[in-house]
Amino acid sequence: MSFSHLKNRSPYPFETIATAIAFSPRCKQMLSEAKFFKTMFNCKLVLIHIGEKTIEKETQLAEYCTAIGLPHNSFTMLWKTGDVVEQIMATCKDQAVDLLLMGAMKKENMMQFYIGSIARKLCRKAKCSVLLITAPEETPVFFKKIVVNHDDTPKTKHTLDTAIYFAQHQLKTDLYLVNEVHHPALALSMADGNTVPEAKQIKQELLGEDIAELKELCDKHSCETIRMASRTVNGKPGFAIANFARVKKADLLVLNSPDKKLGLLDRIFTHDIEHVLADLPCNLLIVHSRTHN
Amino acid sequence: MKHNDIIFFLTAISLMLLLSRVFSEACRKIKFPMVMGELIVGILLGPTILGKIAPAVSYHLFPLQGPISVAMQGISTISVVMLLFVAGMEVQLPMVLKQGKVAITTGLMGMIIPFALGFGITWYFPELFHYNDEKHHLLLALFMGTAMSISALPVIARILMDLNLFKTNIGMIIIASAMFNDLIGWLIFSVILGLMGQGGHSINIGYTISLVIGFGLFMLTIGKKIIDRMLPWMQNKLSWPGGVLAFCLGTCFMAGAFTEFIGVHAILGAFIMGIAFGDSVHLKEQAREIIHQFVTNIFAPLFFVSIGLKVNFIDHFSLNIVLVIFVVACVGKVIGAGLGARMGGLSRNNAIAVGFGLNARGAMEIILGTLALNAGLISQEIFVALVIMAMLTSLLSAPFMKKFVEV
Repeated sequence: MSFSHLKNRSPYPFETIATAIAFSPRCKQMLSEAKFFKTMFNCKLVLIHIGEKTIEKETQLAEYCTAIGLPHNSFTMLWKTGDVVEQIMATCKDQAVDLLLMGAMKKENMMQFYIGSIARKLCRKAKCSVLLITAPEETPVFFKKIVVNHDDTPKTKHTLDTAIYFAQHQLKTDLYLVNEVHHPALALSMADGNTVPEAKQIKQELLGEDIAELKELCDKHSCETIRMASRTVNGKPGFAIANFARVKKADLLVLNSPDKKLGLLDRIFTHDIEHVLADLPCNLLIVHSRTHN
Repeated sequence: MKHNDIIFFLTAISLMLLLSRVFSEACRKIKFPMVMGELIVGILLGPTILGKIAPAVSYHLFPLQGPISVAMQGISTISVVMLLFVAGMEVQLPMVLKQGKVAITTGLMGMIIPFALGFGITWYFPELFHYNDEKHHLLLALFMGTAMSISALPVIARILMDLNLFKTNIGMIIIASAMFNDLIGWLIFSVILGLMGQGGHSINIGYTISLVIGFGLFMLTIGKKIIDRMLPWMQNKLSWPGGVLAFCLGTCFMAGAFTEFIGVHAILGAFIMGIAFGDSVHLKEQAREIIHQFVTNIFAPLFFVSIGLKVNFIDHFSLNIVLVIFVVACVGKVIGAGLGARMGGLSRNNAIAVGFGLNARGAMEIILGTLALNAGLISQEIFVALVIMAMLTSLLSAPFMKKFVEV
């Protein structure tokens, strides 16, 4: 199967969204969320179930759809069997899915975290953007506060553009552009070698360009419905922004997709996105920039 | 300590702190490493100068025996343990993982080649170092390998900052590789000191190494999680920053005591504890800075000045040994790290720049040499040569990096 149709495809607009359903207690809420986003982005919806197709499951799905007002002809239902993560990823590729919606617990127990749940595994591996919804609702609401990570990697432009595209489909949004500041070994190298003004100057030089760039971006993209602000937070990447999102009571945190394949070691020596996945501060959108992967 | 001893002891400490500040500030002005100023003060106050021109003053202020000497030794031990603790705090394994292949290949090759070169030269040509102790020949060769392969993260970070490379990709690769080098280097060195019987215990060496590995794995996984749980509580419930500082330094000394007990030098425990603390997302930047300031400005000068008090740098200067050590150190590190960086995908010039960046040895090499000298592993000639090599490599690193780096 050729996947050339996905190469260099922009992460937005969302033309096809998919959600994996598991007939769990939150299934109806996840379907409501899927319907909500389908309407929001006016896009195609694909429902995926990994497991045997049975009469009971079909009946239950039909009941849920009727209950939430999702017409049967408004989505594509795919029944697959095999490894859950692999099958979902393959289906997303096959259907050229732009956004995969998944329900996820805010925090998983230690065992689940180290072994990796389905939703978290997909966040690390998926070749399309993933939206983790921590508390799916039967009556979903628009996002009011969105936090976007801004670093100096090429992917960030796509992530920011996707976040703005997302914000444009909300009613009125506060969008925070957050720069995480973490300079390993800086404290040690500056401990004895600087006067106070010198130390200040060094810190300012390290930050100055970033602050100016963020401000420029905010001025450029702010509009009537999107109020943008830039923030600089100190701390380890991933943890600092998760903390910021938590403090701001954000509805959505938007991050770049991981730069490399993440494994167990990355969870033991937690860094970047793994800090966020360890304890989700809110809903999480991981933007997969196909151009840079 | 008697009344007079206390007077001499406090005067000595005062002189060490005040003079080292004056000289290190002077070094800073001329863009030399500040540690050089501290070493110069040690040379001035020690047997090299003061001992020659005013032996009576030197005898009273810096005696080689008696209560003042014991107290100085105690301060020196506390200093080196804390220095390794703060060095550990800057080793961030997640960063090494984040940088991925290039950091690993650079770090590994930057260890293997200089180690092999240092080991090989010492093993096959011990006469180059005027060495004739058959008993410790292997340990000396292992030590020289380690001494050639270690880097100095603080100096490297400083150089990158001065060259405006701190935030660049190449800067991050150098920092991550230096962290990796430091981690492996100090682990090997601790085991060498353990083999020298520095612990003074009769615990079997195999058992000791298993305990070290167990302790390291525990601290970097479960121990780190415990620290992560405790730090937020401490920062909220106890007085700030007293509570956190007491917790950090208390556990640092406890870990040092533990590794000393199992037959490995206390520095390893402090270093590993430093890594566990430095890796914690809850350790506030302000707390980190306070610990650094406290250790770097009080204990580091005392330690580095005390080095000059023990060694006569003129009598033990051997040009041959200095040249051998300097050449082996530079060739091994630049080729090794450069090759690793090239294997990791960097361009030829950037790979050479990485090699020169990691070639800066600075204070870490001097600490390593001092511990080996105290353990009776190396001669004063080798020690003096290591100090000179550490200074020269720190001075040469920036101009050579600047020449090759392409950003």
